[in-house]
Amino acid sequence: MGEQILFGLASGAALMFGALVITLKKPFQATVSLIGCLLAVALLFLGLSAPFVAAIQVIVYAGAIVVLFLFVIAYLGERPLPELDNPLARYEVVGWVALVGLAGQGAVLLATSNLTGLWDQPTRPDDIGSPEAIGRSFLDDYIVPFEATSLALVVAAVGAVLLAKRGVRAEGGR
Amino acid sequence: MMETMEGVPLGLYLAVSGALFLMGLLGVLIRRNPLLLLLAVELMLNSANVALVGFSRHWNVTDGHIFALVVMVVAAAEVVIGLGLVVATFKQRRALDVDRMTVLKG
Amino acid sequence: MIEVLAWLVLALPLLSCLALSLWPGEPPKAYTRAVGLGLPAIGFVLSAVIFAVLLGRDAGDRTEVSTLWNWVRSDTLSIDLALQIDPLSVLMMLVVTGVGSLIVWYSTEYMDHDRDYRRFFAELGFFLFSMLLLVMAANFFFLIVGWGLVGLASYLLIGFYYDKPSAVAASKKAFVINVIGDVGMVLAAFILVRELGTLDYGEVFAAAPGEMGMGTGVSEMVAILLFVGAAAKSAQIPLHTWLPDAMEGPTPVSALIHAATMVTAGVYMIVRSNVLYELAPYASDAVAIVGALTLLMAATIAFVQEDIKRILAWSTVSQIGYMIMAAGLGAYSAGMFHFLTHAFFKALLFLGAGIVIHALADQQSIDRMGGLKKHLRVAYLTMAVGCLAIAAIPPFSGFFSKDEIIAYSFAAGDLGVVLGIVGLVAGGLTAFYMFRLFFRVFHGPEPEGGYDVEHPHAPGPAMTIPVVVLAALAAVAGFLQVPEAWHPLEDWLAPAITAAPDLHPSGAQILISMIGGTALALAAIWFAHWMYVADPGRRLRMAGTLAGYRRLLHDQYRFDHAFEAAAVQPGRDLGDGLMATVERGGAQGIPTGVARAAILAGRGLRLAQTGLVRTYALAMVAGVAILGVIAILVVR
Repeated sequence: MGEQILFGLASGAALMFGALVITLKKPFQATVSLIGCLLAVALLFLGLSAPFVAAIQVIVYAGAIVVLFLFVIAYLGERPLPELDNPLARYEVVGWVALVGLAGQGAVLLATSNLTGLWDQPTRPDDIGSPEAIGRSFLDDYIVPFEATSLALVVAAVGAVLLAKRGVRAEGGR
Repeated sequence: MMETMEGVPLGLYLAVSGALFLMGLLGVLIRRNPLLLLLAVELMLNSANVALVGFSRHWNVTDGHIFALVVMVVAAAEVVIGLGLVVATFKQRRALDVDRMTVLKG
Repeated sequence: MIEVLAWLVLALPLLSCLALSLWPGEPPKAYTRAVGLGLPAIGFVLSAVIFAVLLGRDAGDRTEVSTLWNWVRSDTLSIDLALQIDPLSVLMMLVVTGVGSLIVWYSTEYMDHDRDYRRFFAELGFFLFSMLLLVMAANFFFLIVGWGLVGLASYLLIGFYYDKPSAVAASKKAFVINVIGDVGMVLAAFILVRELGTLDYGEVFAAAPGEMGMGTGVSEMVAILLFVGAAAKSAQIPLHTWLPDAMEGPTPVSALIHAATMVTAGVYMIVRSNVLYELAPYASDAVAIVGALTLLMAATIAFVQEDIKRILAWSTVSQIGYMIMAAGLGAYSAGMFHFLTHAFFKALLFLGAGIVIHALADQQSIDRMGGLKKHLRVAYLTMAVGCLAIAAIPPFSGFFSKDEIIAYSFAAGDLGVVLGIVGLVAGGLTAFYMFRLFFRVFHGPEPEGGYDVEHPHAPGPAMTIPVVVLAALAAVAGFLQVPEAWHPLEDWLAPAITAAPDLHPSGAQILISMIGGTALALAAIWFAHWMYVADPGRRLRMAGTLAGYRRLLHDQYRFDHAFEAAAVQPGRDLGDGLMATVERGGAQGIPTGVARAAILAGRGLRLAQTGLVRTYALAMVAGVAILGVIAILVVR
């Protein structure tokens, strides 16, 4: 019964916070809602026997990334947008139709899928979520993607530095 | 044959994942503040992670976890660049509105 | 042993061409001279060795074929890269390398003040290689290869002054007309392959009488098509118009390529294919008639030319007419004899003219010459020998060779008699126009206003010695064949000319040709003297006579006009028409249309580029939704 309760609470929280993220207009409030959503998703990971991913979710996502958001928001200051004319008003109906269409497709897929065990009780997994298993998998099977992610991080860091430098010059520095 | 257990079937996880994804998508479509856009993108990435980890348990393999971690790394890189761009454009334009950034208009 | 020597003879000029071409930058002139002259000269020595070796053998044992490797092998056709060393090709090798070396030697001084010293000698080396390939090839395939390559060399050398529009036009004209001939040769080779399955000389000549038959359509066709090639290369009617224009090239080139060697390739080819021509009596008659017509026509045109080199060019056309006529009548060895003496005296005349032109700072009009006797002593004497030789005055070489052709013509049936008389008359004309040139250049008054240079300067040794050597050869080469006395050249060539008819001019025919020819020539020389030396003013007083005919001669019988109207202008019109319809409408219209459509599409699609990120996201989402629907409906 443990997983059912966990799932019910966590999924409800995740959906609620997700809705808040996209409805709140102040970036600070939306970001705090995102923290809640991320923590709820971490709980879902725990229920899925993925403790390591859950831990990383909390540490990296809810910790580092969201802090970065908050930092930028604090740097730029709270500026609610002036209510301008919305140049995309006439397209919005297309967006809603597309969204409803996608939702319908998802429902149809889930309802009609012939994937075995989609709606059955799950089988007990082996030791797949432990740090040891993930470490072995990374270094045995996924060494190239592993290195590629490090490369992506380096590129991102360099890019951020360059962007920041240009920003300094635009402000008249140097 | 695997031993079954008391738990939540994969379909429900996928449903939650899909709902989160649509929320993120909706956010991308209706928001005009680039910071909020990035937050919505984070929602979509997370929904994908839920699906990945769910499938990983379904098939009893580690690969989904690996992908989820890689997605996190990519998300981190994306946020760094995205926020860098937001700051840079803000410094030049003093406004946070993606609808005003139309330099690339054809 | 002689096989190796033969390959060396072929390779040396090519080596000279490569060694000069590949030298980085402009090589020192001493190097250019050493390589450009030395290697062909070694080739001549080796040719002489081959000649001596063959001379030491029995007459039946003088033909050797040396195969380097198999070039083409397809189903039944096999073509070797092979050389044939036999009396005919050795004779050609000796002339090509010998006269060639002399002319290259002459050029070392003649071209000294000219530009592109290296390029000139490289191209001469290339020409010598091509010409040797042509005469040494052991099958029609490499004959045609050499045929095409000498055409290329001729094109390059006529257009040597490539920034002179007239030279470029002349080189193009020569090339185009030569390609017409090449097409004829290639078609003839196709027929041979189809009929006999081989292009090898030995096999073709052995199989042709049995397989193709005497006087059949196939035989006539092959002979006619081969003659198209010969007519283009040897400047026979109606493909002769390129040769006078080819005088745009440097004078040594005119001497070597457009007088002594290349233009006689047609004669060589007909003599080489004597078996095929004996199988085709009508074609042979046509060849002889074309030769005689060319001979007469060119001799008359030479009357009115004012450019010293053009006179010699028309004279060359005319003299080759003699050779072609002889070959067509079956007097192959007489044709080759005239080829030999002509190579000497015509090269001599061109080189002598080159001395005059050089001395007068590139002045070529005989109107601006006259009285040069006292300035250019050597040129005067050697040119006198050359003119006497070509005018067939005994005992100079032309006397023996030309009169032999005429005597053989008289012995070759009714047609031969008519053509022989044409030859006799043309001999008189030849004597007249040659001495017109000679008297107006060396005798007579100096031109009004003096020469174009202060003092015509005498040439140096490198130009003098070859001319003197050639003059000596032109004077005595006739004694190779003395009628009724001995005929070593004919005996020498006999193994290569297997099918020659047994022509034996009687004593009376020989006497008529000799006495008649000499008398006509002397009369013509006297007439020329009367007109140009005895009273220099007479020429001007007579300028109005026969004005219409003179104009026709000036227009060179309007061949160029006819070609212009018959081929060039329709071709131009066709090109213009195709340009207006196919090119503009299709080849160019389709791409332009596509480009215009792309531009319009871009203009339309530009509206979609709002620059608003969210519209892109929206479009993407809508697209994904639609694709998803399709995927669900179709794939599942």
